[in-house]
Amino acid sequence: MLLHSVLHILKKKLKNQNPHILEHDMKVLLPLAIAMSLLTTAHVGAEELSGTLKKVKESGVIVLGHRDSSIPFSYLANDAKPIGYSVDISNKIVEAVKKELKMPNLQVRYNLVTSQTRIPLVQNGTVDVECGSTTNNIERQKQAAFSLGIFEIGTRLLTKKGGAIKDFPDLAGKNVVTTAGTTSERILKKMNEDKKMNMNIISAKDHGESFLMLESNRAVAFMMDDALLAGEMAKAKKPSEWDIVGKPQSYEIYGCLLRKDDPQFKKIVDSAIASTYKSGEINTIYKRWFESPVPPKGLNLNFPMSDDFKELIAKPTDKSAEQM
Amino acid sequence: MNYHWDWGVFFKPTGIGSEIYLDWFMTGLGWTIALALTSWIIALFIGTIIGVARTLPNKIIANLAAGYVALFRNVPLLIQLFIWYFMVPDYLPESLELWFKQDINPATSAFISTVICLGLFTAARVAEQIRTGIEALPQGQINAGLALGLRLPQLYKDVLLPQAFRIIIPPITSEFLNVFKNSSVASLIGLMELLAQTKQTAEFTANLFEAFTLATLIYFVLNMSLMLLMRKLEKRVQVPGLIALGGK
Amino acid sequence: MNDNVTMIRFNNVNKWYGRDHHVLKNLNLEVKQGEVVVVCGPSGSGKSTLIRTINQLEAINDGEIWVDGIQANSTKTNINKLREEVGFVFQHFNLYPHLSVLENITLAPINVKKVPAAQAKQQALELLERVGLLNKKDAYPSNLSGGQQQRVAIARGLAMNPRVMLFDEPTSALDPEMIGEVLAVMKQLAESGMTMMVVTHEMGFAREVADRVIFLDHGEIVEDTMPESFFTSPQTDRAKQFLRQILSPMDQ
Repeated sequence: MLLHSVLHILKKKLKNQNPHILEHDMKVLLPLAIAMSLLTTAHVGAEELSGTLKKVKESGVIVLGHRDSSIPFSYLANDAKPIGYSVDISNKIVEAVKKELKMPNLQVRYNLVTSQTRIPLVQNGTVDVECGSTTNNIERQKQAAFSLGIFEIGTRLLTKKGGAIKDFPDLAGKNVVTTAGTTSERILKKMNEDKKMNMNIISAKDHGESFLMLESNRAVAFMMDDALLAGEMAKAKKPSEWDIVGKPQSYEIYGCLLRKDDPQFKKIVDSAIASTYKSGEINTIYKRWFESPVPPKGLNLNFPMSDDFKELIAKPTDKSAEQM
Repeated sequence: MNYHWDWGVFFKPTGIGSEIYLDWFMTGLGWTIALALTSWIIALFIGTIIGVARTLPNKIIANLAAGYVALFRNVPLLIQLFIWYFMVPDYLPESLELWFKQDINPATSAFISTVICLGLFTAARVAEQIRTGIEALPQGQINAGLALGLRLPQLYKDVLLPQAFRIIIPPITSEFLNVFKNSSVASLIGLMELLAQTKQTAEFTANLFEAFTLATLIYFVLNMSLMLLMRKLEKRVQVPGLIALGGK
Repeated sequence: MNDNVTMIRFNNVNKWYGRDHHVLKNLNLEVKQGEVVVVCGPSGSGKSTLIRTINQLEAINDGEIWVDGIQANSTKTNINKLREEVGFVFQHFNLYPHLSVLENITLAPINVKKVPAAQAKQQALELLERVGLLNKKDAYPSNLSGGQQQRVAIARGLAMNPRVMLFDEPTSALDPEMIGEVLAVMKQLAESGMTMMVVTHEMGFAREVADRVIFLDHGEIVEDTMPESFFTSPQTDRAKQFLRQILSPMDQ
């Protein structure tokens, strides 16, 4: 609760005040907020357990939702167990839950979700927390709660290196591919309509197919979250042939999906994420997945941390980018 | 389960132009019907030829037709679609390949690939029904035609097929309905038919259950009307005692 | 009857079903133009097979079959052309259930002989009148009795103006009270001078209408004679036994 009120104050400042002052406030307030939140979590044990924590305590199992091919966030490589950046974050959450419930032998079960099933599976209790590449947005907030942001992306273009496409205006009259159901799809369609760009937009079923459309010359560019574009690029036959270009058309914050109205559990999840940021451990995790070779092919995404994400780490929030 | 229901979601603006979500469903329905009907025409035409070929006395032709059926019936539809959409264009002459991939609208190229794929796939299933229908006819019908000097094409056109089609209306109806359901594979190559529009609405609004409920309802109404239509057709062309007649 | 013109001739015809079943054994047979020949014999004797080889609904393995000067079993023969000249009436009628009586009759003349539709229809109506079914021209086969269906089937065969009419047990599938109407039509046809070969057990018909009776047993022609002598003085024991069975079955 305290954390929330502090964040609330921060947000007000964000909206109304000079950014310099804000930054200063932030440096002072954030550690305070985290310390307070840690303090409050320590008290949860004394309270009556409710919601997810109660369920986990009683069943002795926590269920993590994961994806099968959101490289490098959450995917299956050589093992039945998922790996990835977001999986590492969810493991931090599990550790915090173990500590909170004093259950060192808490069982962890992984449950595969898709973009269509993730929200209902969290809602109906099949999955307790889903950390993958789920964008936090207002529509989804009606159905589920989001943790503090775990990543921030910009939506950009993947295209032939040195080709005709340098930025979004160059797409006029061309075939452009994006993945069905993503924010990029909506932005692209809106841009096409508003600016009368006369693009032909292909909505492929997943990122792999989107890239295939690009690779097989059906489209001149692939619009998507830059981190996922880096993932697809790394999988290409010749990664050096491709380039990520264009001014980001939107920024999106990924978060872990939780059930709504479960403050006890959300507090644990948020504090686990916040302390990973605070301790600097996030840098190790980031490096492991974005700047080192990753399974299954040992590809290095070479995707350094963006300033936007650095800012998110400094000022964690559970709001969507549009609400900022 | 604390799901946030909102049935008004279909009337909300999509944020793209002046469209509401319901418009997406209607566009999707339009594509679904266009896909299914075009594929069905191809399937009926080719399926009849293959089905007839399977019953011909010429063993080579009959075996080729059987091979067609085995191939198209046993390879999963999705794989066939990917072959038609991703692989076949690469083997076209370069100018045709570029035309298919870049010059025509991506929706058109996805449409062409899907109707070819679905048409040929369903043709294999229709062919089996046609064959069954022909084989169910008494040998006496063939003999009577032959004895009168009917040539093979005349025998099929005037004697066997008109009867076979009447016999197989019920199973052929279910194939017809399947084409509508199967047309949803087009969503996997980016054609925004009904299922694709449903998924898109679900993603954009996070009102997954409303979107899929509406889609279910549309598919249901569509299939029920088609079924009633086929029943009517069956009644209209009905010939009393068709199967009971005839002998050796 | 023209005694000099041979309409059907079998020269040493052999047919096997599979490897072991020798169904037609070295048959030799001649039917003159205008002749009415009844073929009879016990079941399994090969009589149905014999009549079906004439228009090649059944192929033969060896020998020659000639119809109106054309070799039916030659690969060089256009068998469809030959079939146009040979009418065939089946035990089970085999009318087309999806076509009206009139359409059943006109189908082949219009499609095969390319007779103008109006003319084909006119001829069909005349034939229907001949078989006494003019009032049924628009009925469908399923609405007709067996006897009526068989009369339509005869009219259908005649619509092609055949040189020969073959009948394969035309009354066996009929209820007894309907046999007479069909035999009457056949008799009338015989009197008009049509060359006919009839597989039947209707011995009354054989006696009254046929010029010759052929008795077939185990794929062989056992007797080939005038009806009167076949019935009054059969030459073989097999024929005698067959006649006993067929004329007074209760005595067995």
